[in-house]
Amino acid sequence: MQSEKQSNSLTRQVIQSISDASLVPFLAILTAVVVGGVIIAFVGGDPLLAYRGLIQGSFGSTKALSETAVWATPYIFAGLAVALAFKGGLFNIGAEGQLAVGAVASSLIGYALPEWLGYDLPAIIHLPLAIIFGILMGGLWAGIVGWLKAYTGGHEVINTIMMNYIALNTTSFLLNGVMKDRSPTNVIARTPLIADSARIPPLFEGLRVHWGFILALLVAFLIWWLLNKTTLGFQIRTVGLNPDAAKYAGINVKRIIILTMVLSGMLAGMAGTIEVTGLNYRHELGFSIGYGYDAIAIALLGKSHPLGVVLSAFLFAAMRNGATRMQFLTQMPVDLISMLQAFILLFVAADAIVRYIYRIKSKGERVVLTRGWGG
Amino acid sequence: MKKLYFVMALLIVASMILTACGAGAPSAEDCTKEEVFCVGLVTDVGKINDKSFNQSAWEGVQKSQADGVADVVQFIETADAKDYAKNIAQFGDAGYDVIVTVGFGLGEATDAAAATYPNVRFIGVDQFQAETVAGVSGLNFPEDNAGFLVGALAAAMSESHKIGAVCGTDVVPPVWRFGEGYKAGAAYADGMNGTTTEVFVVYHSDVGFDKTFTDPEWGAQTAKSMMDQGADAIFGCGGLTGNGAVTAAAQAGAYGIGVDTDQYLTLPEAAPRMLSSAMKLITPGVADLIAATKDGSIADGNVFGAAGYAPFHDLDSEVPAEVKAMMEEINTGLLDGSIKTNVPPVKP
Repeated sequence: MQSEKQSNSLTRQVIQSISDASLVPFLAILTAVVVGGVIIAFVGGDPLLAYRGLIQGSFGSTKALSETAVWATPYIFAGLAVALAFKGGLFNIGAEGQLAVGAVASSLIGYALPEWLGYDLPAIIHLPLAIIFGILMGGLWAGIVGWLKAYTGGHEVINTIMMNYIALNTTSFLLNGVMKDRSPTNVIARTPLIADSARIPPLFEGLRVHWGFILALLVAFLIWWLLNKTTLGFQIRTVGLNPDAAKYAGINVKRIIILTMVLSGMLAGMAGTIEVTGLNYRHELGFSIGYGYDAIAIALLGKSHPLGVVLSAFLFAAMRNGATRMQFLTQMPVDLISMLQAFILLFVAADAIVRYIYRIKSKGERVVLTRGWGG
Repeated sequence: MKKLYFVMALLIVASMILTACGAGAPSAEDCTKEEVFCVGLVTDVGKINDKSFNQSAWEGVQKSQADGVADVVQFIETADAKDYAKNIAQFGDAGYDVIVTVGFGLGEATDAAAATYPNVRFIGVDQFQAETVAGVSGLNFPEDNAGFLVGALAAAMSESHKIGAVCGTDVVPPVWRFGEGYKAGAAYADGMNGTTTEVFVVYHSDVGFDKTFTDPEWGAQTAKSMMDQGADAIFGCGGLTGNGAVTAAAQAGAYGIGVDTDQYLTLPEAAPRMLSSAMKLITPGVADLIAATKDGSIADGNVFGAAGYAPFHDLDSEVPAEVKAMMEEINTGLLDGSIKTNVPPVKP
């Protein structure tokens, strides 16, 4: 009897906590949509047509669904990267740079490895090599920041931003220099196309959605499992909540900080890698701009929970993807979508606004996203 | 809760009222019909009102509508390079007759789309066609003619009879043609006016591709050293590097000359001393090709638009009538082919 009652109340608790956790983000989205609609109307557009375009463009056909999944794929990886760091009490603003490093690394393996070896590799070896190299470089890039944080106390926010500059400018240097596509008519800063053997095949013939999307969902599950079902995950979360307590509990805090950054960087690197091997088949300076910053928003909106990250990655993907159709129907500028995203974030981040508008009482503990300056 | 409903209701009513005031959206739904001629434009990563290629091309599309050639016109701004194919497909699937893609970056996506949509005419602005692709017309421009025009203008306007050009790397053929055209134009004006003009042309070929078009500091320094040697008109050809040179020239009181589009509009710091710009006439070029598509006279492969020079704007009163007449004469000569720049397509 006792245990049944307990499990019952546990179920109720779980449901309660899920609806609590998703209530504010949901209302934030709703409010942002309404405010966005008013703004569209204000500048002389038709909000209903605009939103119809947005939905049609993101979910209205198999092609649209496929494109939404294409956008969601890197968003899920990058969002998980930032979310995992949040769980460990670290604010990884460096996903943008780690993503670029991963993309450059895997495109290098993708196009240059067969040249170096002098023979073609089978896909079963070449593709994993390209992906793993990209992931490792992303992890290494973030690991430097983790090391600096653990051993010198250098704040990860500043260091990831600096590492972004280094990564993006190095990318530009390489793509304009040694890694540049040397075909005679090319004037763009981009790498040559990667070999067929380094490409992730599409899920369906004629659509761009590829197996990387399935991989993204699997990795999201894996991260949930890691965080909630393993000792390492427990340690990461403990360090995130209170590093001093973690230290007294015998956790090697320095090691966990570095490990968290490395794992976070690996996920961000994966986002870049997946775009190269699954979609673009090369890296180019115009690709994947701002995903690392969108990822921060995605992690925040998803409350750093892997399932939340997947859902908010889908929302952002749908908005980015549907924007084309919206623009096609209404000729509204695509900037509107960025504005809508900003509104959603504003309402999520400043949830007091949403709580005030909808009269929701705050209850339970606050989600700790990151510790303060010098924490 | 009451307050919540009130707020929501207010917002909904407000949006309805405002909607009623808003303009109706143009209908793109009739484009599948044969008799409706539709033109779509996909920008490079950038905005439609960039005062540069995207905007000029869009104005060309709008012109074709004003001329009664196109019935429906529409554009899509590209936010991310991976969306090129998707944005083109938006028009292709909607049954558009012409799709204009702006910039070299869209070249590959345009060629691929031409295979998917064999009934659509693709106009690739600034997309040089190394190989002819069925359904794709690459709109290119004679940069040497544009350079020739401003070279002649600079030579005619210079009081010190020394003029300069600060360009990006001559490895890129269009840049080299701008620079060589500039020299040829100055020589032509000398022949007409009986003057001898010294022309300094410097290409920023000493650095890599990552730097050659994005080095305004070097551009400014080079322009200054030219002015130290007496040059009083500087032509900047090569992205930000050229812009740096033009701005430095204008601030020192010399004439600045822009490139590609009318840079009087895009370089406000240099505008008061902006003499002219070596222009690719994208707007009429696009409009002409759309018209040629409708009457069936368009061809695959490279098509060449016209070059021109931008208005004198603030300096209009400083330019003597005989120089204006000379420029008209040269422009006409270049257009009808009686004047040739004799600049080869690529550096020999």
